[in-house]
Amino acid sequence: MSKAFKVELHTRDGQQLGFDCAPDENVLAAAARQGLSLPAMCRSGSCGVCRGHCQDGAIELGPHSPEALSEADRQRGETLLCSSYPRSDLVVAVDVDLAGIQAPPPVEREATVAVVEPVGGEVVNLVLLLSPDPNGDASVSFEVGQYMELTLPDSGVTRAYSIANTPNWEGRLEFYIRLQPEGHFSHWLRQAKAGDHLKIRGPFGHFSLDESSLAPRWFVAGGTGLAPILAMLRWMGEMGAMQPTRLYLGLNRESDRFAQAELAGLQAILPGLRQVLCVWHPQGEWQGFVGNPAEALKRDLAESLAAGKSPDIYLCGPPAMVAACEAVASALGLPAAKIHSERFLPSN
Amino acid sequence: MFCYQCEQTARSADSLGCASARGNCGKDATTSDLQDLLIHEVKGLAVHARRARELGSPQREAGQFMLYALFTTLTNVNFNPARFTQLINQANQLRDTVQAACEQAGGAALEPLAGAAAFVPASDIEALLAQAPEAAITAGIEQLGEDVIGLRALVLYGLKGVAAYAHHARMLGQESDEVYAEMERLLAFLADEPSDAGQLVNEALAVGQLNLQVMALLDAGNTGRFGHPQPGQVRTTPVVGKAILVSGHDLVDLEALLEATQDQGIHVYTHGEMLPAHSYPELKKHPHLIGNYGGAWQDQQSEFAAFPGPVLMTSNCIIEPQPAYRQRIFTSGPVGWPGVRHIENHDYSTLIAAARALPGFKDEPAAQHITTGFGRDAVLGVADQVIDAVKAGAIKHFFLVGGCDGAAPGRNYYSDFVEQTPQDTVVLTLGCAKYRFNQQDHGAIGTIPRLLDMGQCNDSYSAIKVAAALAEAFDCELNELPLSMVLSWFEQKAAAVLLTLLALGVRNIRLGPTLPAFITPPVLAKLVEAFNIQPLTTPEADLAAALQGKVA
Repeated sequence: MSKAFKVELHTRDGQQLGFDCAPDENVLAAAARQGLSLPAMCRSGSCGVCRGHCQDGAIELGPHSPEALSEADRQRGETLLCSSYPRSDLVVAVDVDLAGIQAPPPVEREATVAVVEPVGGEVVNLVLLLSPDPNGDASVSFEVGQYMELTLPDSGVTRAYSIANTPNWEGRLEFYIRLQPEGHFSHWLRQAKAGDHLKIRGPFGHFSLDESSLAPRWFVAGGTGLAPILAMLRWMGEMGAMQPTRLYLGLNRESDRFAQAELAGLQAILPGLRQVLCVWHPQGEWQGFVGNPAEALKRDLAESLAAGKSPDIYLCGPPAMVAACEAVASALGLPAAKIHSERFLPSN
Repeated sequence: MFCYQCEQTARSADSLGCASARGNCGKDATTSDLQDLLIHEVKGLAVHARRARELGSPQREAGQFMLYALFTTLTNVNFNPARFTQLINQANQLRDTVQAACEQAGGAALEPLAGAAAFVPASDIEALLAQAPEAAITAGIEQLGEDVIGLRALVLYGLKGVAAYAHHARMLGQESDEVYAEMERLLAFLADEPSDAGQLVNEALAVGQLNLQVMALLDAGNTGRFGHPQPGQVRTTPVVGKAILVSGHDLVDLEALLEATQDQGIHVYTHGEMLPAHSYPELKKHPHLIGNYGGAWQDQQSEFAAFPGPVLMTSNCIIEPQPAYRQRIFTSGPVGWPGVRHIENHDYSTLIAAARALPGFKDEPAAQHITTGFGRDAVLGVADQVIDAVKAGAIKHFFLVGGCDGAAPGRNYYSDFVEQTPQDTVVLTLGCAKYRFNQQDHGAIGTIPRLLDMGQCNDSYSAIKVAAALAEAFDCELNELPLSMVLSWFEQKAAAVLLTLLALGVRNIRLGPTLPAFITPPVLAKLVEAFNIQPLTTPEADLAAALQGKVA
């Protein structure tokens, strides 16, 4: 790729943002790649929504409709960002405020413990209620699949945990956290009680649902990698999603089972959900699948693909499990665009 | 996918229409194909429903479904492919029900039906999408040519507009078997794959006639439920406090929301085509219907992002929700977007919870206002003054400048046109195109404001009634009035309104900013010959022509 040019974007409310744009990349796409969602509709030079004003620099305009941008408009420096390819560094003004083009930036908020209780398998369910943000917004807004950073008040210890519930207006966040024998955060969790305070910052992360896909959705979780997947499944329930859906949950032993009430609750909101519990080293009279989730995925995905059904798969858990599942899916020919994953490591 | 139903469809030297992975409206190819399949199903359902009606067993539920299903396929209404798979299944089940009713009413001697009426959608999504070419608007173009396909599109798109208005009317308790029967007839006509251009033009005008009936129903629904619009000022600047923004066209949704938010300390703002709500007595009586926010639909991405509360989208036009507000926009009725919360049965509890949680407006700039509410009752209430002003030469000409707005800069034509209208002329307006010129002071002729906002696009019915009354007062034909129509179209309701005007014999309409891509040059030539319908040139030239009597 040729050297990228610098684009300086000036918003209506006087803010300035900078990003890189390669000569063969349009300004709208470059902005999107760097997390800026500029107003746009057709993305092909026809509708005129992504209009900007080039205040400095040279642009080569790609194909566009004269209805969307006339020659007179061009002479005045107007441009369509979806058809604008930089030929120098650029200064571009857009008629929109910064808040309109940036996903809400992560903010730090105070949180109060509402619930902290063991839910089996050395896992704790932590429910927090957030105080309003500096702007007075009491809601909590995020994409299902994202995570938050939690910071303990005294030690300053910070850990990232995936959110297990859906965006809501009460400022309520739910987490499933496995207690680590030597973990600093685990030590705090063992003693935490309702009313305790901590700081929280977020949301972060790009693990998210492809909501416009009609393909079956298969979720594969390892241990507390279930948390963001629980959020996705709950969101699908709220949305009334109809896709055939499966959940493969991998555990080392039967005794590691946790959040069973929540998993049973999923069946009420997603009646067609098929749950497959994969126990790697069963120690009792285990009747279910024996092995890791990658093995279960391999068995079922091969069968599904042979039947012409190509699911979207969502993977979250320890890196080894995610890598094994990705390898299985790729080897069976599932396109990379249909594989969505998030890895996590236990921290102490 | 192939779609050329709206004004902003892709146009290049080689081809017309959106035919890539994503249309210019943001509709992806899967959704577009599923919409085609749903329309195919609806045509088939109409054939069965028509037969049931002929057998003395009319199926009102089928008619209601047709309205709703067609409404979901209008531009900027529903982008959720999952919703279309459900509707396709629902259409198929309903067809079975209607078929059973036919068998019960007609006995076993019924002829088997073919084409769309016998279409069986595959249960599997991949197989279903493989059936889409059969249902495409361009199916058969190689044999029939672009003119016939374009005329079929004209009939279908007009019917989509009729369906949207009829659905709104139904929500207000106004429906008619006569309307359902004509919808069934026209859809069954399309299901029969017509190829006679003359017949297609006649049926397009029949769509226009049907739309007149439907707009009358909607007018009766609106005025019956909310009273006649009254002229008045609407605040366009925010007021400190919690806030909900309502966009789209559905006044019933707005009424239900106003009732649900009564005494809750939440202000309700209108957006886009909801502006005329402020003129209806039974809506404006709610003090928390506080004002109008923003402009026409195409600016929603920046306006919704800046609005400090939840947004309810009740009908078109929704465009891709930006991350800044994706979690706080809600849809209702026929509207949908994947991953956006949908409200059913006027249950606004989540929306209200969102409004309480979100910051609301904290600052209150100096108040500004615009005027609306000149429905036919208000205008005809001062008809004597208007007629006297015309006779005295104080009003030389009327312009109807209205319709849809859009993003294309060519639409500046309309604001330039209105700005240049002489002081002894009156401009009637409706639809969201007015946001280009309704903030300016255009003055008055005596006590009559020079700019009269008649309401939503469906209030074209009011404009037609006013024009008819003026023609009667001056004892002349509609086309002999000193009235010029300069219309702006974007989506299919505008197509229905245009067909109504043509069906009424209105000539010399200026239509823009571009002509429909589905109207081929030979068809346009026929329309020019019959109605002298004309494209826009420049505001100066078109205005001069209108005032010299070359137009109107």
